[in-house]
Amino acid sequence: MKALSFEGSGSEYFKIWIVNILLVIITAGLYYPWAKVRNHRYFYGNTTLEGRNFEYHATGKQLFLGFLIAMILFIVYVVISETSPVGGLIIIGILFVAIPWLIWRSLKFSMRMTSYSNVRFGFDGKLGQSYINFLLLPILFLISIYAVPIGASVLIPLLAGGGDIPSWVSIVAPSVAILAIVLAFFMYALIKKRNSSYIINGSRYGQGVFETTLETKIFMKILFKTILLSLLVFGVFFLLVGAIVYSTIGLEAIMELKNNMNDPQSVQQNIGAVMPIIIFVYGGMILAGMLIIAYSMTRQRTYIYENTTLDQKIKFASTLKAKPLAWVMISNFIAVILTLGLAFPWAKVRMARLIVENTLVDTEHGFDAYMTQKQKEESSLGEQIGDAFDVDVGLGF
Amino acid sequence: MIEGKWYAEGSAASYAARLLLIDDTKYKLQIANGEFYEGTLNSLEIGNRLGNIERKIILEDGSLFTTSNNDEVDKVFKKQLKTNSFIHTLESKYRWVLIALIITILTSFAFFKWGVPWTSKKIAHALPEKTNQLIAVNTLDFLDKVMFDKTTVNAAKMKEIRQHFHSKIVPLSTENKEIVYKLHFRLWGDENLSIPNALALPSGDIILTDKFVELCKTQEEMDAVLLHEMGHVVHRHTLEMVIEGTFVSVAVMMLSGDSNGLADMGVGLGSLLVSSSYSRGHESEADMYAFKHMLMAHIDPKSFSQIMNRMTQYMEKEMEPHKKGKEMKLDTSKDNVLDYLSSHPNTQERIDIANQFSECYNKGLTSCDIKTID
Repeated sequence: MKALSFEGSGSEYFKIWIVNILLVIITAGLYYPWAKVRNHRYFYGNTTLEGRNFEYHATGKQLFLGFLIAMILFIVYVVISETSPVGGLIIIGILFVAIPWLIWRSLKFSMRMTSYSNVRFGFDGKLGQSYINFLLLPILFLISIYAVPIGASVLIPLLAGGGDIPSWVSIVAPSVAILAIVLAFFMYALIKKRNSSYIINGSRYGQGVFETTLETKIFMKILFKTILLSLLVFGVFFLLVGAIVYSTIGLEAIMELKNNMNDPQSVQQNIGAVMPIIIFVYGGMILAGMLIIAYSMTRQRTYIYENTTLDQKIKFASTLKAKPLAWVMISNFIAVILTLGLAFPWAKVRMARLIVENTLVDTEHGFDAYMTQKQKEESSLGEQIGDAFDVDVGLGF
Repeated sequence: MIEGKWYAEGSAASYAARLLLIDDTKYKLQIANGEFYEGTLNSLEIGNRLGNIERKIILEDGSLFTTSNNDEVDKVFKKQLKTNSFIHTLESKYRWVLIALIITILTSFAFFKWGVPWTSKKIAHALPEKTNQLIAVNTLDFLDKVMFDKTTVNAAKMKEIRQHFHSKIVPLSTENKEIVYKLHFRLWGDENLSIPNALALPSGDIILTDKFVELCKTQEEMDAVLLHEMGHVVHRHTLEMVIEGTFVSVAVMMLSGDSNGLADMGVGLGSLLVSSSYSRGHESEADMYAFKHMLMAHIDPKSFSQIMNRMTQYMEKEMEPHKKGKEMKLDTSKDNVLDYLSSHPNTQERIDIANQFSECYNKGLTSCDIKTID
């Protein structure tokens, strides 16, 4: 097993990034597809394994038409949603139905535009599967979440029939509720599993086929642990906040503030004391959230990589751990905010390096036998619309 | 001589290779497997340079030569690389990067501060009056369904307000004769809290809530607010908001195009600040419209601050039992950070300007030069 390496640097990318922004501004946005290509090329091209690199092959010209159409659709969407609430809802509905198609087109296009060692990737997943994974199952998931409260509020008065609630309801109702929670857990894990399997099993490297066999039960385990961790982290955090509030400004000051809400002068005097706490709580919630996301993401990634092969012989692994990932996320976040965005290129390079260098590939068998397969050229339209409406495919190393 | 690797077309197998120049127009490529290529420099397709990632040179038969010796490629293929070297020059010289940085910061600032409002205004006023009707269509029906109830103001009072409005106030507006103003009375709120407010739709429909009518103590106070609402209509603020919103959304989309969820949060906060600032600009503009026309009609602009104060006080008093210590009241003093998030200008500032106009009024002037804060 060998780790991929990342050879880009923050200062080098900063220059590319700022020139991109400048040219986008000067051209009133028309340079955007070319800027996007340069960004992608920089990160792909600097990712190497055994001295050979990845490449992004799309050209600005190729993206331009799709970009224009996506932009027009986006402007139409913004104008309609601002002038008519009903029209906005209708468009969101249409977008929701289009998402599986957008994801499918995006995968096909992005994979086709990516190569490693001169051989292109590809994507063969079926559109129907995309509709099951990205539309049908999420809808079922939402139903499984809302079914319990709605069911309870309808059924219990019905059973009671104006009189007392029958005693068996008080036994059955909680067990049904627990069952429903377990069902929601299961649906969530199932969606995670199916989405990952869909993307990986549909992926090709030259004539090579990626394969993965994932189990829903492992995703359930990770989800369960994530929830426990969230309870722990937020519990500790709020105890800490409570302790700090109590020891610094004390309950009296808070009560006083509460009682004098209608007196502007008093509010102004006291708000100075409370403001730092509001900022602390808000900031703390974001940081705790990042820690939890990092945990869940790294666990799933490790599991998925371990169970993925190329042509059933080339193995993969992820050594990305929650703590370093959370640290990079949090410090990037702070750096970007403090520099009003100027640290963004540096933060992006740092994140790319962490992720790339924690990706391991079995190189024993070599890649020399792989050949790019002939495919018809893919249009970039789906990918561009997905980009404009921020449809996240969740692809990447 | 450039050292690198060679790949057959579409193959992952790489061989060490070196590119030699025979003369100014011809090259020779020697490959470690013993093969070699010869041809003219012009038959090669030289990839664009980007930072220091491996350079690609595609040969006539589709096979590929790659090298990390970017500088040497730039030197040898100077003639073939005109357009790309322009962008690469920008990217590699700190001087250009610094200039790009400064231009970016200044133009972004100017774009949001002046460019968007100015352009939106131009577009909003270039569109035909019909556009205003179009975006207001169904709005009142929609508001009636979700927000308003039937008015409890008695018919005689409504008739009196309407008559005064159409005979005395509407004629003051000489800017756009196409606008047809219409007054509507509605009840807004529930049994606990009746909300005083006046709002204008782009079509010229002005809605007064029952509580507002009740709180107006003098005719002048109501006129002041009506003129303020007419200011929104004349200046086409709703249309401007739609256009500004479109600009901001597109800019945000491009900015956050290659960012992650966290950076999106910052961008989201930024766009909130920007659109609140536009909204404050509109409120101030409507205020100025009202004050100027009040002077013309010999109404003391002080009535505006009186009714504003009374509405604020009423809301504060009524909201008190509903507050459970969670919500912070926006205080009316100057220099409050929360002002930047508010969609309305600082009340104190508005009252100050009203008072300045009032001074002009007391001097018997019909126009007044006021330095506004922005």
